[in-house]
Amino acid sequence: MFAVMNDIPKMIPQKLIEAARAQQRSALDEQAGKSLLASYGISVPQSLTVKNAGEVDAAMTKLRAPVVVKIMSPDILHKSDAGGVKVGLKSATEVKDAINAMAASPQIKAARIDGYLIEEMAPAGQEIVIGGLRDPYFGPLVMVGLGGIFVEVLRDVSFRICPITRLDAEEMLDDLKGAAVLAGARGRKPASRAAIVDALLKVGGENGLLMTHADDIAEADINPMIVSDNAAVAVDARFILK
Amino acid sequence: MNKINNLQDFTPFFEPQTVAVVGVSTRNTHALPNVFMRRIRDYGFTGDIYPINPTADEVEGFRCYKSLADTPKPVDYAYIGVGGAQIPAMLAAAKGRTRFAHVVSSGFAEVDEGKALQEELVAAARAGGMRLVGPNCMGLYSPRGRITFAEVGSRELGHVGVVSQSGGLGTDIIRRGRNRGVKFSALVTAGNCADVTPSEFVEYYFADEHTHVIGLYLETAKDGRRLFELLRERKASKPVVILKGGRTQQGLAAAASHTGSLAGDDRVWVALSRQTGVVIVDTLDQFVDTLLLFQSVKPNTAQPTKRVTLFGNGGGTSVLATDYFARLGLDVTPFEQKAIDELAALQLPPGTSITNPVDCPVGTLSQDEGRVAEKILDIIFSSGKPDALVMHLNLSAFVGRVKPEVLDNLMAAALRVRDKYPGQAHFMLALRSDGEPNLEERKREFRVKALANGVPVYDEMTNVGHALAALAAHERFVSSRAQH
Repeated sequence: MFAVMNDIPKMIPQKLIEAARAQQRSALDEQAGKSLLASYGISVPQSLTVKNAGEVDAAMTKLRAPVVVKIMSPDILHKSDAGGVKVGLKSATEVKDAINAMAASPQIKAARIDGYLIEEMAPAGQEIVIGGLRDPYFGPLVMVGLGGIFVEVLRDVSFRICPITRLDAEEMLDDLKGAAVLAGARGRKPASRAAIVDALLKVGGENGLLMTHADDIAEADINPMIVSDNAAVAVDARFILK
Repeated sequence: MNKINNLQDFTPFFEPQTVAVVGVSTRNTHALPNVFMRRIRDYGFTGDIYPINPTADEVEGFRCYKSLADTPKPVDYAYIGVGGAQIPAMLAAAKGRTRFAHVVSSGFAEVDEGKALQEELVAAARAGGMRLVGPNCMGLYSPRGRITFAEVGSRELGHVGVVSQSGGLGTDIIRRGRNRGVKFSALVTAGNCADVTPSEFVEYYFADEHTHVIGLYLETAKDGRRLFELLRERKASKPVVILKGGRTQQGLAAAASHTGSLAGDDRVWVALSRQTGVVIVDTLDQFVDTLLLFQSVKPNTAQPTKRVTLFGNGGGTSVLATDYFARLGLDVTPFEQKAIDELAALQLPPGTSITNPVDCPVGTLSQDEGRVAEKILDIIFSSGKPDALVMHLNLSAFVGRVKPEVLDNLMAAALRVRDKYPGQAHFMLALRSDGEPNLEERKREFRVKALANGVPVYDEMTNVGHALAALAAHERFVSSRAQH
């Protein structure tokens, strides 16, 4: 049938990394990355994986639409570019159509397919990025930035050396030039600062993800993390191994 | 090798009883080791000096010894300035009788072909039972130990402790510092830091009662993690100023992630500063300016510096400084009405601006031979209540127009008012000159007087601004961490 992914806290994080190494992967795949995040208490969307369209009906009884479907393949690094992502699907029929369309596309046909990830869409909110990096001299660093143009174009990000304290996390947000956006600029709903600070501490704090796996993780991108007025959900994650 | 991390273990380095000098020449008295030997003797070093020379009996009146193992007493501090390839064997032969070897010679890991030799050097120091400082540097300046590699250097034991990874810059810091009134507890040039790292000296300076301010010139931070942990643990209990070279060149060569591409080497130094309260500066001038301010004033962590009053002559200078200070996060905003009313009641001549900046033409400042300033300053302190007061005098506008004692009276008035309101506001002086030799001479004399009264003196308002912004950042950090 399908693998239940939300039974995650029982997974030992180090096993995820060892499994990727055993397969000679230089990075955790999206599913493993999200499992790692979930094991540190960071919210990830509810999701299930299916092998093919035939498993969709059963899966959709356990998920709440709208959902997104993503191709899972070790050969496809940039899923969107390969036509391997379809968002805003409202029914099992739409999900099946999306999977069948993906399976028929030439680029995906040529690749090894592990399956298809069906994931609930995160509630609307402000996109942010949380990142990690291992500095050769200072050890793990944690980064935060606002998503989209703020990080892509303006490079409006703030770094700290791990482990960070709660005050460090607060000051990281204060450092951002676009910090006012979090408070709900231009009529938008405010994004929960507390949820971001909490996520930053789980990633970069004492006993956090980056400190615990400092010897394994070279770089990390949680991009985007969607922050509503009461939660921060990691929608995509990428961990590059040392 | 045991890590040295306490005051006692570094005492033989900063206050040696016995000094060995390796590399002395019987023919070339200009050789650096010969110069060093004469310098410490002239500087007042009273312990034993042992020139090491395998063939000579005596050099410049000092009896020579064949090796570090042959000296009458064990060696606390060995200055080593001989060809790099010869050094490892010499160190290995010390048989545990040398505490510190300060290797000034070059040709080690600063060049690719010297990397292996540096590894050999470290291994030899370990085998010889000593700690190694350097290589590729110039030496130690330690007033308390009467040791100096520098041609000039005050005998006075000051409060600023410095580690410089560059020898030449270390000399600049001593020389410029001396002319600006910075007084050092010690300055170590540490070069490649093959064994003893900057963090270990920083730890010593934190523990050392004479050191009140710590300055670092760093090019690499091989023990960055240890530096971070040390500084974070110390919570800026002493101000630390870092002049960092090579902030833009490094960074990750090939970042695979988005985060990696956003990093750049500079980000980690900004992070270090935000998390530990160290002040990072960009230029040698800012380094000396900032060390001078921390040496001179007691940080006001109860009320971090924000509001600044400018008082002096030069309208354009005041306007430009107001803008510049604002960019540095310092407020030069008008006084409240009470102070303005009180200043207005003095009925100062036309052309005087009293709202802050307080801009007084020479005519105003020279009223009553300069004593009018006392009344103005009293109102600034009592009613304006700034966190810092910057008095700026454009000497070009004074000299030749008013009696020389006007400047002295201005200064005396400022000091009297400062002392009447102790601890209320930081007081700094900018003495501006156009570079004419007679003005420069006047400025020099005047600066000495001001420094004797504990007033730091700057050349321009921009220099004052950077130092004051650094002080404010330190005060804010200590204040924010005290609340948590």
